[in-house]
Amino acid sequence: MHNIWLIAKREYTERIRTKGFIIATVLIPTLMGGGIFAATALAKHSKTASHIAVVASQPQPAADLKHELESGKDTTMQVDILPSSTSLATLDSQMDNKQLDGYLIIHQDSPLPQQATFDFKPRSSADIATASAVTDGLHEVLSREYLAQHGASASDIDSFMHPVTVNIIGKGGKKGDSTASFIVAYILFFLMYMVVLMYGMNVARSIIEEKTSRVFEVLLATIKPQELLAGKILGVGAVGLTQVGIWMIAAAALAAQAGAMSGVSISPTQAVFFIIYFALGYTLYSSAAAALGAMTNSEQELQQLNMFLMMPLFFCMLMIGPIVSNSNSTLSRVVSQIPFCAPLLMNFRISLSMPAWWEIALSIALILITIYIVLSVSSRIYRVGILMYGKKPNLPEILRWLKYS
Amino acid sequence: MPIVELQNIRKVYDTKVAVEGLTLAIEPGTMFGLLGPNGSGKTSSIRMMIGMTVPDSGTVNLFGQPFARTALHRVGYLPEERGLYKKMKVLDQLIFLGQLHNLSEVTARKRSLAWCERMEISEAIDKKTEELSKGMQQKIQFIAALLHEPDLIIMDEPFSGLDPVNATLLMDTLVDLRKEGKAILFSTHRMDQVEKLCDEIALISRGHLLLSGSMRKIKSQYPRNRLQVVFSGDDSFLQHPGIAEAKNYSGIAEIILKDEAAAQPILAAAIANGTVINRFEVMEPTLEEIFIENVRASFGDAEAGGRVDA
Repeated sequence: MHNIWLIAKREYTERIRTKGFIIATVLIPTLMGGGIFAATALAKHSKTASHIAVVASQPQPAADLKHELESGKDTTMQVDILPSSTSLATLDSQMDNKQLDGYLIIHQDSPLPQQATFDFKPRSSADIATASAVTDGLHEVLSREYLAQHGASASDIDSFMHPVTVNIIGKGGKKGDSTASFIVAYILFFLMYMVVLMYGMNVARSIIEEKTSRVFEVLLATIKPQELLAGKILGVGAVGLTQVGIWMIAAAALAAQAGAMSGVSISPTQAVFFIIYFALGYTLYSSAAAALGAMTNSEQELQQLNMFLMMPLFFCMLMIGPIVSNSNSTLSRVVSQIPFCAPLLMNFRISLSMPAWWEIALSIALILITIYIVLSVSSRIYRVGILMYGKKPNLPEILRWLKYS
Repeated sequence: MPIVELQNIRKVYDTKVAVEGLTLAIEPGTMFGLLGPNGSGKTSSIRMMIGMTVPDSGTVNLFGQPFARTALHRVGYLPEERGLYKKMKVLDQLIFLGQLHNLSEVTARKRSLAWCERMEISEAIDKKTEELSKGMQQKIQFIAALLHEPDLIIMDEPFSGLDPVNATLLMDTLVDLRKEGKAILFSTHRMDQVEKLCDEIALISRGHLLLSGSMRKIKSQYPRNRLQVVFSGDDSFLQHPGIAEAKNYSGIAEIILKDEAAAQPILAAAIANGTVINRFEVMEPTLEEIFIENVRASFGDAEAGGRVDA
């Protein structure tokens, strides 16, 4: 135990002093937090402000559309109404000169707008915002006109077209925000993804570093490979926990300050489960990474092998969709029990809506069993692999290593 | 009681036999040289001595007991490939390695400082390892192996890459340690160092032990049939029938004798001819010659050329 402690302590103190650690600890929450606030702020305040032309033979619905787009709820566009005799070539050249962002042609034979067809030509086909603003505007205008034709009064139309607001009631009767809880779940998912992978790979890298610098030859002259491996996993994991802990505290402080405003907050339950599943996921992935590190001789070789670590994580990402749409479906329940996915997916489900307690307990038990198996295989590979230089071993060789004494 | 005793050990990696039937013993207060060409099984043998690998058969005894990990706290090991944490400060590194050998932090610090002074690298203790020269790193590695005052010191190529001043410093230190009664095993390719330092040697090639025993005994097995004569005047004594081969580099003759006994008659013949003899020396073969001869024989002459790098 003394040796494991010494190895872990060295690994911890050396890593925590590095610039990389300090930068990641400060920068990642800043970037993430900043990104979220910027995204929500932009989503709230951005209005389409393109300049388009409408080519119409009849005054309506063109005039109403102009009104809707220039002073509507979400748009402050500039709209020019042009007669149908306008040459399209002129408009095209105006678009090429960037004076116009697009033009809409209304083909209409009768004054009744319902029979009209619409062609919209945007300057850039990637300009989805303008196109959808035009579509929404037309929809609004045509609906209003249809209602007016059927004898509805202006105030009736207004109240009919008034958007519906649904209040989401969260736990404890407080008014919640379902978008915010999705955002939190996503943040936690990607944070988990990042730290598990990052610290798992750190273990592999640290093994390769000792292998290339041959330090372990000195170390193995006093201590057992298993102690070295255990100390390393504990030390690097402690660094990860420290970092995650700092982030959680920062998130809590941020939530206290700005959380109320943005509606984004991480509950204590979410934080506790995040730390539990991080510890489990990290141990599992770092045990597997240790075997990869012991098999390879350089970072480049490690990179060829790290897809074995990435694959289950990618699979987890594919599962986000199904879990979001129904977090208690059979599929969600099954995939969140797969030990290599549970740290990410069970935690994701917890941050969406609490699964049954036995599901959580089962997933933790399964991860622990898998950790035991992976660790015993890796420590055997590690024991032999760190003494092998040169050629990268093939699978039969690795299997033979497991039998060495 | 020998400090290290290997009994008929054997180690096979897949199909390659690394060590086969190796038996040797190292007594306290001995400087033991482990010699052999590259890939001959030296490092494999050393690794089995310190329990990094386990022999497939045969026994390893340390300090008169069957191998146990607790005995490792009495062993200091300097690996062939130098291994230090590049980013760690020298003093922290030495303390860490000392602590792994069960020293307290205070003792480790005290001894590290004392050793750095002795090895003349005190100015390096606050630097990171990667900032140091190779020779300095080697001295630090050397100190790390000795901090816990081991009774058995195992050094794989301790002098490689050192300048003569530093090599001498390390050699003198090892000689001092031998005087204190420690057993020292080292491997090297530099035969002049072995001749100067070692009491006993073992020569292995392709995993087999070719020669072992005290330096005196081994050398005495070979005839003292080399003769060097520094002379002026008549050189007709070089035609003496007792000479197998002679080269005359204008006044310095290097002669291989047919027989040890031929030396005195040659001297007599030279003086009788009136040759002025400035120096007349009968020599035993150098260790290097013995090494090459034995390793060649173990490989078979044809393939020896490329593999012998003494």
